[in-house]
Amino acid sequence: MDIEFSAEDLTFQEDVRTFIKENLPAGMEMWTKRGEWFEALRKKGGWDVAKWPVEFGGPGFTPTQRYIFDMEMGRNSTPPQLPFGVGMLAPILMNYGSKEQQDRFLPGIRDGSVNWCQGYSEPGAGSDLANLRTRAELTEDGKHYIVNGQKIWTTLAHIAHWIFCLTRTSSDGPKQEGITFLLIPMDDPGVEVKPIITLGGSHSVNEVYFTDVKVPVENRVGEEGKGWTYAKGLLIHERTGLAGIQNSVFALEKAKANAGTVKVGDGTLMDLPRFKNKIGELEAELMALEFTELRSLASVSAGSDPGPESSIMKLKGTEIQQRISLLNLEAAGIYAAAWGNEPIGPGFAKAATGGYLGGRATTIFGGASEVQKDVIAKNVLDLGS
Amino acid sequence: MDLSYTDEQLLLRDSIQKFISDKYDISERIRITASDEGFSRENWSAFAELGWLALPFAEEDGGIGGTSVDTMLLMEEFGKGLVVEPFLPSVVMVGTAISEAGTTAQKAEIIGGTIDGSLISTFAYAEEQGRYDLNNVVTNARSDGDFYFLSGAKSLVLNAQSADKILVSARTSGDSTDAEGITLFLVDAPAEGLKLKNYPTIDGLRASEVSFDNVKVGKADIVGPLGGAAPIIEKITQRAILALSAEAIGAMEVLYQDTISYTKQREQFGHPLSDFQVLKHRMTEMFMEHSLAKSLCMKATMLEVQNAEDAKRTIHALKFLIGKAGRFVGENAVQLHGGMGMTEELRVAHYFKRLMVIDSQFGNADHHLSEFIS
Repeated sequence: MDIEFSAEDLTFQEDVRTFIKENLPAGMEMWTKRGEWFEALRKKGGWDVAKWPVEFGGPGFTPTQRYIFDMEMGRNSTPPQLPFGVGMLAPILMNYGSKEQQDRFLPGIRDGSVNWCQGYSEPGAGSDLANLRTRAELTEDGKHYIVNGQKIWTTLAHIAHWIFCLTRTSSDGPKQEGITFLLIPMDDPGVEVKPIITLGGSHSVNEVYFTDVKVPVENRVGEEGKGWTYAKGLLIHERTGLAGIQNSVFALEKAKANAGTVKVGDGTLMDLPRFKNKIGELEAELMALEFTELRSLASVSAGSDPGPESSIMKLKGTEIQQRISLLNLEAAGIYAAAWGNEPIGPGFAKAATGGYLGGRATTIFGGASEVQKDVIAKNVLDLGS
Repeated sequence: MDLSYTDEQLLLRDSIQKFISDKYDISERIRITASDEGFSRENWSAFAELGWLALPFAEEDGGIGGTSVDTMLLMEEFGKGLVVEPFLPSVVMVGTAISEAGTTAQKAEIIGGTIDGSLISTFAYAEEQGRYDLNNVVTNARSDGDFYFLSGAKSLVLNAQSADKILVSARTSGDSTDAEGITLFLVDAPAEGLKLKNYPTIDGLRASEVSFDNVKVGKADIVGPLGGAAPIIEKITQRAILALSAEAIGAMEVLYQDTISYTKQREQFGHPLSDFQVLKHRMTEMFMEHSLAKSLCMKATMLEVQNAEDAKRTIHALKFLIGKAGRFVGENAVQLHGGMGMTEELRVAHYFKRLMVIDSQFGNADHHLSEFIS
């Protein structure tokens, strides 16, 4: 047992750092030069799709390299990628899609020219996702599905070109069966998107309505009725990515810097023991969580399952994200209340309020924390149904 | 980076697990703690024969050449069995001091005697006015010719009643809280002017209040530089914290697993307790606290072995987390066992008390959190 990176891994780390230094757009260019950044990553040898396997153009990182890569990217707060295509749909297509579907959809996912959204949750199917009711009925000629129903909490549906959907093709048997995975273009006249404004004032989620949408059978991924199995694999993918440890390391440093600018008496907020203690607790827990991820990676690279530790990543990671956002909110003081278009008070205040409110979602989406605990109790601790 | 144990280490772990499952169930532990010395000399000899007492010592000193990683492995298993033999004071604490700073003669005598099981030693460092400040040393060593005369009092000296040698921190110069001016002395026990007030600890160990009234020691009994013991004491403390943390990890594992088994078989309201979601979630949280603390224990231990710059800070974070996790897991294990958790009959109570004591030693959670953020 030893904690040092091998010489190869250290070289790799240096390579990633140099790459970031040379290519990361600074300041406001972060938004205007996103395209160049991802192009540079692609040219570097598949770094734009770091988690994809080599046969689909990924870099073939070892688990340790992936850890280093995520760490350096997260700590430098590099431009994020929308997760739906690259991170969520692509692995499904690679594992269960046809060759035609892979050739048709993966290039657009990779170069970012086609935006995807995820059509899972419904008004009656949240944590109990398998309860979904959006119907897909095969036409008599067997060439199309006719889709009717409603999805909700659909992130970025308003800018998506396509939606990958779980639909019900049969109501016989257990509710996990009879679910089919369909790819549907958003420009179909039967698809309607209605915005939902969340409590942080932002528009990122939507309702999506399907009325007699005609979907060719070529757009079905895998077999009819097997969609739940495919999606479950994807949910695990989604959950491991949701811990956001490296982003939290960055966010905590930023929260400290913010608090350091807030004057309290002769010092700053960082001099208040109560505030400082909270930072210390978070830092210690984050350190422990980060190493837990390494333990899980180590099991994977030794050829075993990720290990029971991996199950706690999303649960604990999102809790930590929320606690960091709370530090910023507290640091904003009275300015936590200000909510106009013009910035009021310290520069970080508006984002602090929005971040705290918006961040409440992290323990709800991708399997609410309470559901995660049920899953760990059942699968890891063998605690009954 | 490699987070797995070697084949030799896995064999060692198997042998410790076998020993504990064969010879160390809770009734045996209770029997041992009620004996005169509060531990088993027979077990101690067995540890020596199995090579466990040689584990962290360098090969040139007659040891096996292990590191804190090996100690972690051993202490985690000891934690699962709640082993009471004086491994921590003898091997980890005094062993570290002599390995790091002892003379050839001291190494031959102390390390040699520790490895073959013939010598028991302990470290007297804590003083009542000092709380968790390691540099707060009032016990005084007066120089007179070729000798030093120690006077003062030390608290909670583990297994002092059984110790052949007591390592003592004493002030040879400076003010009572100066880092400079502290010296380590090896005192033979018994000795003239050395008085022990022995008592049991709540977790089944033995300790003593030790007083020194002009106890005479020679210059050859000084360990390390005169007045320069602070870094050695810090090293001893770090190793002791790592060892205790690993022990706590083992104890927490037993607690959350015992709680799972108990709630599965105990029925109320016509259901096993484990059917109730509020209890399932609590046990999930216990498991999580254990996993996270274990991760940090591994990290801190490896950093210490590597002598890394951030080892010290990470050890502060670790002891904080061990205190917090240990409290959570321990209290909830008792809570979920209901009335039975309050009895001495089930082992839960014993593990709970051990975790309670571990938090109080070498700085509790609050202390280490302040050190961590300072």
